[in-house]
Amino acid sequence: MSTFSGLNTAYTALVAARQGLDVVGQNIANSSTAGYTRQRVNTSAIGSVAQVGPLTARFSVGQGVSVDGIARLGNTFLDARARTASASSGYWDARSSAMSTLEGTLQEPGANGVSASLQKFWAAWSDLGNNAGKPAPAAVLLSQANALAAQVATGYQQVDQQWASQRAETEGNVTALNDAGKQIADLNARIRTTVASGAPANEMVDQRNVLAATVAKLAGGTVRESQDGTVEVLIGGNALVSGTIFNEVKLTGSYLMAGAGASPVQLEWASRPGSAVALDGGSIAGGLAVLAPADGSGTGGALAEAAETYNTFATQLATQVNAIHSAGVIADNTTGHAFFGFNGALPAALGLTVVPTDVTTISTGTGGFDGSVADAIAQIGVAASSPDSVWSAMVSGIGAAARSANQQSSIADLTTTTAVGAQLSNSSVDLDEENMNMLTYQRAYQGAARVMTAVDELLDTLINHTGLVGR
Amino acid sequence: MYTRITNQTINFSAQRNLQANKVLLDKIQEQGTSRQAINQPSDDPVGTAKALQVRNAQAANAQYGRNIDDGNGWVGTLDTTLTAATNIMNRIRDLTVQGANDGSMSTAAKSAIASELSSLKGELLTQANATYLGRSVFAGNTAAAVAFDPTTYAYNGDPTNVSTVQRRVDANTTVRVDADGAATFGVVNTANPAADTSVFTLIDNIVSDLNTGTNISARLTEIDQRMEAIRGQQAVTGTGQTMLDRASDAKNNRTVSLEAQRSSVEDVDLAKVILDLQTQQTTYQASLAITAKVLQPSLMDFLR
Repeated sequence: MSTFSGLNTAYTALVAARQGLDVVGQNIANSSTAGYTRQRVNTSAIGSVAQVGPLTARFSVGQGVSVDGIARLGNTFLDARARTASASSGYWDARSSAMSTLEGTLQEPGANGVSASLQKFWAAWSDLGNNAGKPAPAAVLLSQANALAAQVATGYQQVDQQWASQRAETEGNVTALNDAGKQIADLNARIRTTVASGAPANEMVDQRNVLAATVAKLAGGTVRESQDGTVEVLIGGNALVSGTIFNEVKLTGSYLMAGAGASPVQLEWASRPGSAVALDGGSIAGGLAVLAPADGSGTGGALAEAAETYNTFATQLATQVNAIHSAGVIADNTTGHAFFGFNGALPAALGLTVVPTDVTTISTGTGGFDGSVADAIAQIGVAASSPDSVWSAMVSGIGAAARSANQQSSIADLTTTTAVGAQLSNSSVDLDEENMNMLTYQRAYQGAARVMTAVDELLDTLINHTGLVGR
Repeated sequence: MYTRITNQTINFSAQRNLQANKVLLDKIQEQGTSRQAINQPSDDPVGTAKALQVRNAQAANAQYGRNIDDGNGWVGTLDTTLTAATNIMNRIRDLTVQGANDGSMSTAAKSAIASELSSLKGELLTQANATYLGRSVFAGNTAAAVAFDPTTYAYNGDPTNVSTVQRRVDANTTVRVDADGAATFGVVNTANPAADTSVFTLIDNIVSDLNTGTNISARLTEIDQRMEAIRGQQAVTGTGQTMLDRASDAKNNRTVSLEAQRSSVEDVDLAKVILDLQTQQTTYQASLAITAKVLQPSLMDFLR
């Protein structure tokens, strides 16, 4: 055992305490950095050197403290749980916000919705029936009919525009997903090099975790860790990122709602065009669910189904009114005239037009001032299978779908909050704890310095004051 | 399990709770200021469907109200017209009875009666061609300008009486608001004078009888028949009026009950909203105060 070994022991203690203080500083500095995971210095005691020979002491103490590394106190299971939860909440958020926008365009119940226009339309027929042949009520009827047709067309266009903006938003999300994937692949490469050289890569791992969370929020997926420090990010069972290799995805399909039936919007691997990525969550999956084409049974994409219902409504309205209207005669005593017409090139809701232009081309009855046809048309509004009931079913259907999407979204949000809370609870920096550590390291440093002084004084006695007895 | 609490988790949950409280406040504020329980269909999809249905029924009911008002105009016009016609017929009968006294009447007196009868016929014709808002009340749905031709007395209305003027007073009922002119004032039949039931030809005949000196007492039966027809029509019109009145009562009752239904579905209970608001406000203030207290201190404040 060397005479000076005590000094070295104290020195290792100084180094360890300083390292500890540095890490405390790093933790406090990043206490509010998003995604930062707290770190700790791992130390271990150095044992005594094995000695042989006649002059060795029987017992010897250890050689001080060794700094083994700086550990990142993350928990991969909590991270995975937070990612799964945020995939689900991303999916329901996208659906819920789309449904809220959609139901907002309905303006029901209230005085500005289609139902109010319909009621005014039926009332105008009744008034015209009471005053058959008069230009004033006929003009009122025509303006109500045109307003109703315009409102139906506007409603349809709003759905169409929402579809287009939803597609653009999903496109933006796909770009964000590709960006995140590219950065993860890049970080994988740097982390692998750093880990191979033995240095800690904690901060880069934190950054990569943030990106992985972004991927999960956008497209669900799972993260698998490899031995060399890299991760594999899988979406729909296939690798978006594998080591340093990044596979691009892209959004394909129609840019217009009208073409979505023939060419549905889907997420594809750039390297394998034509096969859709089977997403298991995330806001892209939510967006794609909203963008899905109508399937004829009312369970397709919310927007396309709403547009389809607008068409059904317009067709029903025209068919029911025309059936009665064409039985009556107009001013020139001819029958078979339609009240509503369609522009064949457009969807029914957009192409709905009013055929008559004045009182002479509206049929109110069987001749003269007869108002029986007008009365029968006005009665459509209170019939069981009226266009009103088609509209009412659509409004309450969209309302129910929006309500359930909202509920799912709040449940998913709650799950996410719990998962993120658990993740934060494990990984976030606690200032009180860091203060305690700071005190500990500070005192350890002071103690080590004191030990060093003591050893120094001891050596001073040995070197400078030995053999001076009796001088 | 021991959960590690850090400054960040406290911040995180404080933020979340404050946000949740604010969302609730906003919801109550929206309900309170709009006074509506349903602002979006998703607030209550079933209630929305019911609200739409009730509003539809309300609109239809309001329209029935307008129809009833219009019908009242028709029936009122008819009633006035028929009363006037009855009065005219009474006068005509009186004059006919007077003119039938052959012995005591001079030719001059008879011609005076004849000329008064002629002018009464004109008045009766005016009544028979009475209009409501430009439509002849005795001519059904025809587009003809007058119900009875002023010279030939021909009836221009629908002779077969297929197309009558009807007003819808509720979903299943219509009320006839015009009168059959042919039945009321009779029809001319120039080919077979014996089958001629027109009141106007009758008066013309009395006038010509008076002028030629024929005794007109035989005409009294015919006058009574015509008066009977007019009074009969008045009774029919009265029935129509009763139906309209009853429909109007029913419509008013429906207005009240439909409005109550609409209100129960769509409107908020203001007292409840205010109470909720107060509670929510207290909760929010408490959460603000507690958050402010909890977030402040750290060990740093106590280390010297």
